[in-house]
Amino acid sequence: MTASIDPITAAVIHGALENIAIEMGHKLMRMSYSSIIRESEDFGTALTDAEGNQLCECKMSTPLQSGPIPGYIRGIHKALASRGETIRPGDVILHNDPYGGASHGPDIAFVVPIFIDDTLVAFSVTTAHHLDIGSATPGSAGIVEAVDAYAEGLQLKAIKVVEEGRPNRAVWQILRDNIRASALVVGDMEAQIKAAEIGATRFLELAGRYGIDTIRAAATELMDYSERLMRNAIRALPDGTWVAEGIYDGFSDDPDPRRRDLPIKVAVTVAGDEITVDLTGTAPQVSDRPINMPFEGTTDCAIWLTLRSILLDSAVYGDVPQNAGLTRPIKIIAPLGCIANPIFPAPTIARFTPGNAMADILMRALSQVVPEQVSAGVGNLHVVSFSGVRGGRHWVHMEILEGSYGGRFGMNGMDAVDTLYANTRNNPVEDVESHLPLRIDRYELRDDPAAAGEWRGGMGMIREFTFLSDGAFSVEGDGHRQRPWAFGGGEPGLPAALTLVHVDGTTETLPSKVAYHAARAGERVIAHGPNGGGYGNPFARDAQAVLGDVLDDLLDAATAAARYGVVIHDGAVDVAATDANRAPASVG
Amino acid sequence: MKTIGVDVGGTFTDLVYCDLATGVLDIHKVSTTPDDPSRGVLQGVLELCRASGVSPSEIDHVFHGTTTATNAVLEHRGVTTGMITNDGFRDVLHIGRHQRVQHYSIRQELPWQDRPLVRRRHRKTVAGRLAPPSGEEIVPLDEDAVRAAALELKAEGVSSVAICFLFSYLNTAHEDRARAIVAEVMPDAFVTTSSFVAPQFREFERFTTAALAAFIGPKVREYIARLETALRDAGITGELRIMASNGGVATAGMVAEKPTLTLLSGLAAGVLGGAWIGDLIGRDRLITFDIGGTSADIGIIVDGTFAETDARSSSIAGFPLLSPMIDIHTIGAGGGSIAHLDRGGAFRVGPRSAGAVPGPAAYGRGGTEPTVTDANLVLGRLDADDFLGGGMKLDPEAARTAVAGIAADLGLSLEEAAEGILTVINANMANAIRSRTIQKGIDPRGFALVAFGGAGPLHGAEVAAMLGIAEVIVPPYPGITSAMGLLTTDVKYDATRTQFQISTAVDLDRLNADLDTMQADLATRFAADHIDAAATRFERGGDLRYVGQGYELRVPFPQGPLDAASLAGVWEAFHARHATEYGHAFRDSPIELVNVKVTGIGQIDKLTSLRPVTGGTLSGAVVRRAPCAFRADGSLGTFDTTFYDRRRLPAGERFSGPAIVLQSDSTTVIPPGASAIVEATGSILITLGGAE
Repeated sequence: MTASIDPITAAVIHGALENIAIEMGHKLMRMSYSSIIRESEDFGTALTDAEGNQLCECKMSTPLQSGPIPGYIRGIHKALASRGETIRPGDVILHNDPYGGASHGPDIAFVVPIFIDDTLVAFSVTTAHHLDIGSATPGSAGIVEAVDAYAEGLQLKAIKVVEEGRPNRAVWQILRDNIRASALVVGDMEAQIKAAEIGATRFLELAGRYGIDTIRAAATELMDYSERLMRNAIRALPDGTWVAEGIYDGFSDDPDPRRRDLPIKVAVTVAGDEITVDLTGTAPQVSDRPINMPFEGTTDCAIWLTLRSILLDSAVYGDVPQNAGLTRPIKIIAPLGCIANPIFPAPTIARFTPGNAMADILMRALSQVVPEQVSAGVGNLHVVSFSGVRGGRHWVHMEILEGSYGGRFGMNGMDAVDTLYANTRNNPVEDVESHLPLRIDRYELRDDPAAAGEWRGGMGMIREFTFLSDGAFSVEGDGHRQRPWAFGGGEPGLPAALTLVHVDGTTETLPSKVAYHAARAGERVIAHGPNGGGYGNPFARDAQAVLGDVLDDLLDAATAAARYGVVIHDGAVDVAATDANRAPASVG
Repeated sequence: MKTIGVDVGGTFTDLVYCDLATGVLDIHKVSTTPDDPSRGVLQGVLELCRASGVSPSEIDHVFHGTTTATNAVLEHRGVTTGMITNDGFRDVLHIGRHQRVQHYSIRQELPWQDRPLVRRRHRKTVAGRLAPPSGEEIVPLDEDAVRAAALELKAEGVSSVAICFLFSYLNTAHEDRARAIVAEVMPDAFVTTSSFVAPQFREFERFTTAALAAFIGPKVREYIARLETALRDAGITGELRIMASNGGVATAGMVAEKPTLTLLSGLAAGVLGGAWIGDLIGRDRLITFDIGGTSADIGIIVDGTFAETDARSSSIAGFPLLSPMIDIHTIGAGGGSIAHLDRGGAFRVGPRSAGAVPGPAAYGRGGTEPTVTDANLVLGRLDADDFLGGGMKLDPEAARTAVAGIAADLGLSLEEAAEGILTVINANMANAIRSRTIQKGIDPRGFALVAFGGAGPLHGAEVAAMLGIAEVIVPPYPGITSAMGLLTTDVKYDATRTQFQISTAVDLDRLNADLDTMQADLATRFAADHIDAAATRFERGGDLRYVGQGYELRVPFPQGPLDAASLAGVWEAFHARHATEYGHAFRDSPIELVNVKVTGIGQIDKLTSLRPVTGGTLSGAVVRRAPCAFRADGSLGTFDTTFYDRRRLPAGERFSGPAIVLQSDSTTVIPPGASAIVEATGSILITLGGAE
């Protein structure tokens, strides 16, 4: 079927394919209107073959956007086949079905099929998180009370927005009429289509230069290459099974116990060069709350991305192409009807935080096998949607806030960053305040000390928002009730927190999930990001590093003495006192 | 007017002397003295004066490309730096944009957290707050707190301070006041403000730029002062001018105030040199292609002007930098790039480089891994006995052994593997050029490629062929093109201000007043630098985007005050630029004018021509004929190849490839099917595709 290919041509084609995906991402990011795409970089671009196997992805893409792209294509094929429709040249297909490959409804794909001599050979695909898809309340984050898939907003299942070159005006009108801030959202959609069309054009140029058979052969080789790397990395692990379990907050203030403190169980089995991740024992789906994770698009991506980040860490391996080859040695078991494999129409729009929690628990299982390649417990994130009406028009703004990593072998945890399968960017304070009726009064590391360890946990942040005019907010977050896990004698981290400060100065502690909540001018939302877990015995931490944290106001001298056994006088380590303090513990 | 250009590189310091009146030009090279580059500079200048028969006192100007600032950042060797910022924002530098550098990595480092420019202990916060849209004060500056912070920093041994407040680009009052207080408390310290260094929105990027300035400022200032003193002591009274990243030169005083101006000093000179070489033979659409041992630096010249990076694309050592810069794309591809099979068995060339030590296997300094230079030698394209003008012998056997190793792994013949190494590295370079041309709506086929640096002329023709480029220009002295570039530019200063004005409701008075103020500031600066007002001109422009977008595109403004009609032209130019750059324009969307910019150009005397080449005959220039391997029409073959000595090549006589031209600082490859001619200016013009 595919010709063999010499390694030199393969290298040249791989470089060219990657170049195409980067160009698509570059243009999408720069053309798009909403900060969730242009600043947070919550988008993906990729080329796939006709079956949906990924040929290349854009390095700027967020993993949770580019990862699902093959699933979107399979979902589109299935939906069209069931309706007896075929894909034709000049079509542009819109798709966001979480039960057909999409990660969740707001992550909308635009797909441009690529034909050579009337044969479908490839797809050029862009995905992006949109600000609003017509859910019950404004924004596309914090829709935490949607009771089923229909309440989450528009379900767009393999819709041809352009048919053989003719725009489907009815579909565009429906989009404009049902989406808030539609000028922004539709502008972003147009940018997505343009970027996908550029990918198609470039792919055809490449095919013209090398021939489609050679490109297929190079793609096959590329997938085999990724597969080889993953199998080699798995083979280096001992055979066996390792388990871990964690608790996901869910709706912590909900009277219904089925909606809160949900267990997530992970059993990792290594056998030769294959790995199985079994989620059996994970909580049953919550049929009327949107914290269920589509198996294809969220559960699978969270697991693949975590495994590759640990086993093929790019700081060690360099860039390894993300494609179907990489995932061939990985099998995922999730019983149908659990939150990691829900049944339609269970709602899924707020699947972000359970996926991140699952990734963290998978890392905990692997910490028993490859302790030097993991971090201790990672703190989960908050996504906050702000909205209001100004001059008769809706404004919607989304903030993806920070978590933090646990300590690592030989390295402290990363402070105040996006974690695991998310890797967005924050919005500059000067951008937010210049364009929205919001003020940010504080953005710095939180005051509580980091989790102690030979390598301390990462620190969360504090970010304070003040409404300058009446509006509303909603939140999907997690990790308010659990301390990120410690490794090897370290100290567990600190949970995240949310506080609402009323105009009169009274405060209200909020849970990690807040449905649409009206806010008055002058009210403040204060978000605390979590501190990650500590790694290793704090008494083994270099005393000078402890001193450094004290000098940097990350730790006070009393805490340094209590948790690390390091005695500090006048800005210097008292070596004798420290040794005396530490001796019993290190012997024990 | 007698001038000297000095370009300090990692290994060599390159020098050019030119009498601009007569066109007499001499070149020289000395070893770089990394511990104090001013020693090598001084030695080179004096040797060159002696060789050229001029007295040091006759030199009017010394133009200098320096890597002092760049190296201080790359090696993280700045001074102990402090910062004073708003209460509540102590960690802007530490959190950054909260994005990890790598998606798929647990064990990655974050430059701003693992190598802080300002440690948290030296980041002090004070009360005071400004707000958009006009920079109004909503919390007054706590001057006592500023004084207390300065006293603390002083006691902590900090020698340089960046003052960084939110929204200072709208109103500099708080930063200016704090600067005055700090200067009072710490009279010997380097003190700068974020609004002085980069008055643009986005606090992490602006604060980081200010922190970079403070981090390297004292070192740059000290280096320039040391060099000025050394030159003066040696009798050189002419003024020292420093190459800036924006493609102009700046006075020593200016660089001492804004040291970040020089972060791309060395690279910028290369683009200028390449542009000048192209201009000499009437080409104004150029790709400059500068290849050394470890990297390839690519610049684009459209209609005689180089592209500038946009506000969001500049960085150094992983730190963002808001400073006007020539858009130069650097990739890890050079003569020392190593060919290898990675852990998954894929064939790769670079970005890892054998560097100068151990260097390619052929250097015989202990290197055993096959490099691009080894591949060139195996294919017969380099002269083992006459590399770098006979300054160095190459070991063909060592090169063959190294390449044979990877050939066996790949199951290819020795020559196939060597040619494969070149194909892959050339494809990497072609992709880099595509990303700066085709991906930005520029068709490279109408361009000429100027190939220089030690290895540029070896690869230029084959890379051009991959891109459908028909002409390659090889300068007379490929190895010192950057040093020549130093003598081809003007003094150039930039001013920027953030506007945030929307096309549907522009405050023209404010806009024009801002532009006039900026221009007046630059004019004052030129006067202080003794640049004749008659020799100055000002260009205006803006960074625009559709309302809601996050990335701006630069659009030039017409001269003089803007009115409704000229603004309409500006909006139209933005739509057109957007369509070119991204392939689409949103014509119904309102446009946001984000920043306005004024560039002041102070014209100075410069290099305008090269002495015409005279010389012998084509046959007299032939060194030998020998077989070399090339890929032609898709298959690898051996071709009888003529080797020429560049010094003896006559002007105006066309010769055909395959041919190889040898000279002391480079080797030029003219592949089969191509032909070449030495132009009157001394450059070799290679024409591809057999076209005449």
